Amino acid sequence: MGLLRYTTYRFAQAIPVLIGISILTFVLANLTPGDPVRLMLQGVEADQEMIEQIEAQYGLDRPLYERYLDYMAGLVQGDMGHSFHRNRSVSELIASRIGPTLLLVLSAYAFALATSIPLGIIAAKRRNEPFDHVSRIVALIGVSTPSFWIGIMLILIFAVQLGWLPSAGLVYPWWSPETYGHDGYVEHFVETIRHLLLPMIALGTLQMATLMRVERTQMIESLQGEYVKLARAYGVPERTILRKHAFQVAQLPIITIVGLNLSTALGGAVLTEFVFNINGLGRLFYDAIVQLDYQVIMGITMIIATMFVIGVIITDIAYAYIDPRVTYGEAE
Amino acid sequence: MVRQSLQPTRRRVLASGAAVSAAAIAGCIGEDGGDGDGNGDDVADISEFQYDREEPDDGDRSDSLEFLQPAERDEDFDPVVSFDSYSMQVANLVFDGLYEWDDQLELEPKIADGMPEEEDDGETYIFEIQEGIEFHNGDEVTASDVAHSFTAPVEEETQNAATYGMIESAEAIDDYSLEVNLEFPYGPFTLSTMAVPVVPEEVRTEDREAFNTDPIGSGPFQFADFQAGEYVELERWDDYWDDPQPYVADIRFEAAPDDANRIAQVLAGDTDVIDTVPATEWDEVEGADGVRIHGSRSPSYMYLAFNCNEGETTDPDVRRAVGHSFSMREFVNEHLGPAADPLESPVPPITNESGNWDFPMDEWEGMMPEYDPDQAEQLLADAGVPDDWEPRIIAPEGGPREALAERIGSRLTEIGYGADVQGMSFATLVDTYNTGNVDDYEMYLLGWTGGPDPDVYYYNLFHESQEGVAQGHFYEGQGEFHDNILNARESADQEERRELYISVTEEILEYLPVLPAYTEHNTMAAREEVKDLHAHPSVSYNPRIVSDYQNTWIDE
Repeated sequence: MGLLRYTTYRFAQAIPVLIGISILTFVLANLTPGDPVRLMLQGVEADQEMIEQIEAQYGLDRPLYERYLDYMAGLVQGDMGHSFHRNRSVSELIASRIGPTLLLVLSAYAFALATSIPLGIIAAKRRNEPFDHVSRIVALIGVSTPSFWIGIMLILIFAVQLGWLPSAGLVYPWWSPETYGHDGYVEHFVETIRHLLLPMIALGTLQMATLMRVERTQMIESLQGEYVKLARAYGVPERTILRKHAFQVAQLPIITIVGLNLSTALGGAVLTEFVFNINGLGRLFYDAIVQLDYQVIMGITMIIATMFVIGVIITDIAYAYIDPRVTYGEAE
Repeated sequence: MVRQSLQPTRRRVLASGAAVSAAAIAGCIGEDGGDGDGNGDDVADISEFQYDREEPDDGDRSDSLEFLQPAERDEDFDPVVSFDSYSMQVANLVFDGLYEWDDQLELEPKIADGMPEEEDDGETYIFEIQEGIEFHNGDEVTASDVAHSFTAPVEEETQNAATYGMIESAEAIDDYSLEVNLEFPYGPFTLSTMAVPVVPEEVRTEDREAFNTDPIGSGPFQFADFQAGEYVELERWDDYWDDPQPYVADIRFEAAPDDANRIAQVLAGDTDVIDTVPATEWDEVEGADGVRIHGSRSPSYMYLAFNCNEGETTDPDVRRAVGHSFSMREFVNEHLGPAADPLESPVPPITNESGNWDFPMDEWEGMMPEYDPDQAEQLLADAGVPDDWEPRIIAPEGGPREALAERIGSRLTEIGYGADVQGMSFATLVDTYNTGNVDDYEMYLLGWTGGPDPDVYYYNLFHESQEGVAQGHFYEGQGEFHDNILNARESADQEERRELYISVTEEILEYLPVLPAYTEHNTMAAREEVKDLHAHPSVSYNPRIVSDYQNTWIDE
């Protein structure tokens, strides 16, 4: 099977997965206890007639299957529905919120990769030395500490106590410097980084710790491989062995983890966005759940599910591309 | 049925601990200088967080202010449409009202020229408006704009329709006077409804959708920039018609729903003012350098309601026993401190004062059940409540109301019963508290925020038309209870209304379908550089920025 055919096949496989997710999410969201209209009217003088009128206006008085079919009919035409709590189209809401979330998640991944791989390699190379012990302890703490707690601690230390970095919000690089009152793009760039640092570290620490542990283990395994021993016997310099022979092989599991951990990172983004007051998808999702805003819950779930499915497919393709031993499903 | 058995039942064994507990509480309060009656009278006073006026030396008018709101706005800035407090915080600086509430929640003329002339026993009002007031686009404010502001919510069936639903017609007599006809004399009209924000009819009706996110009013600030879900920026309108002119040149509104983050931002100096200081964070903010808490009483009303439809709480003695089983004052002191006051009547004190109702609040306070576990135990025993009674108490999860539910539960346990306390998400709660089903709840804790007219509380929380909608106690009332609420609503005679409300309140306090709990204050925390900032009793009026009693500025 060629690459193109394999890719097409994997995308075709994703369609029933996404349909299954949509059914599950739609049913679960609508079965959640609570009445969104009563919730919306809490504290407002209303009567039963008004409640029924609003329910009819948003189609909430219709059977669940009808509403689901309507939703799916709209979705295939690019209409993700309407938020009755925010009175805006869901696609418009998601479009306005996805940027900050992607900025946060991608920068957290960048931070995680940029720190975990060198640290993992050094720890493997200096196995059972003090550096290795410290890095393992750091990794253990990183894996076992929730990102929101790390975020709160970072805010308390670097924003409230030291005053070095801002305590909340992001500066969006895609907005003009004038929006923030910045003097030109240099200040705009610096402020973008300053605002991004703490949430990026808070969200990226878990990924960093996970990747570092895997990188260390894989590198140790690689460095003990027969081909490495052979290279050493041939007198290949240690630096070349590390870079050329051990490193490349050790990266395959990292690719898998990066792809599969995308959903974990998006989940962590919900809390990180809350702690750092970032107007991303995570906070929108949380509000939608609290307000029983069904269409928004559906829209964000479908977006995240699609991103995850695409992430997994890209991982598989990349894996097969990098490692010649992995095929596209052809019989040997 | 009175139980005569002397067997050491579970209830009797547990009850023996109640006296010890009550004595311990009384002892503790006595040591702190309280009156020793177990009621913990040392309630902190919110006036400690109100400051004298401060004027700048140089009259600099270039200050910028950032204000953090505790919830995301719905982004509806057209007052005809908007019904969320945080969009209205923005809108109230852009629009002037026909009348506006002052810092004591008393209505005073703004665009109106004096108080209206009342005709037809309160079914008709003639308003005069001031000449020469302009909207931000230069158009003059006319009586026709005011008439439109009154009628548009009903004509367009917005969610504010109920507020103006009693208006039959509103028509301009000439450019500066208008006549408003009501379907019936509506009691709250002169205390609440007249506070209508005035919108420019022509601009608004030209494109309602655009107007909602780029509104034009006649207030001291005009819209400058807006990014949905991110921020709203207002800039001072330099041709503002009224005095004083604001010192603040521009204001930026952002939302920070997480309490911890909002507080971190003001402590770190990343923002100037935050709305709402939660009771749990009060000490941290109060003790912080460079930050001041500003507070005001508010017309918020938290209550404990009983299921009068099914279960043990259909008996008024059982309800009274629950009232005797715990001390509200002690709870408020411990859990809410200066952020709230305990309530002793079904209307908050500020409602009584601002509406000049002169209700017999002291008398009502005397009718409230005091903390007396022995009496609670006796009443429950006399009512024949089974030993294993464990009423289900539901409350919004994670806040002081859930803590109050737990307090009631623990006090009931101490006198030998128990409680099944359930904190629920708000979405679940609003679908549960109004079923009238004993399996769902026997008590629930909720709240309502009103204003200077008691109708908001009595009609929504007690009138039978609201059963299953805004109230779930299903109290049937004695005699003319529900008629009195309705008659008070449909009367323009304040003395008559007062008498009706006294009758209704005395019945509430006698039969206790609802036990008043506490009123939460409106609070803000601001950097010390922010001067002449005063919290307003109405959430949607904060930050007031400029008025007869304040002109906020920043001491750079």
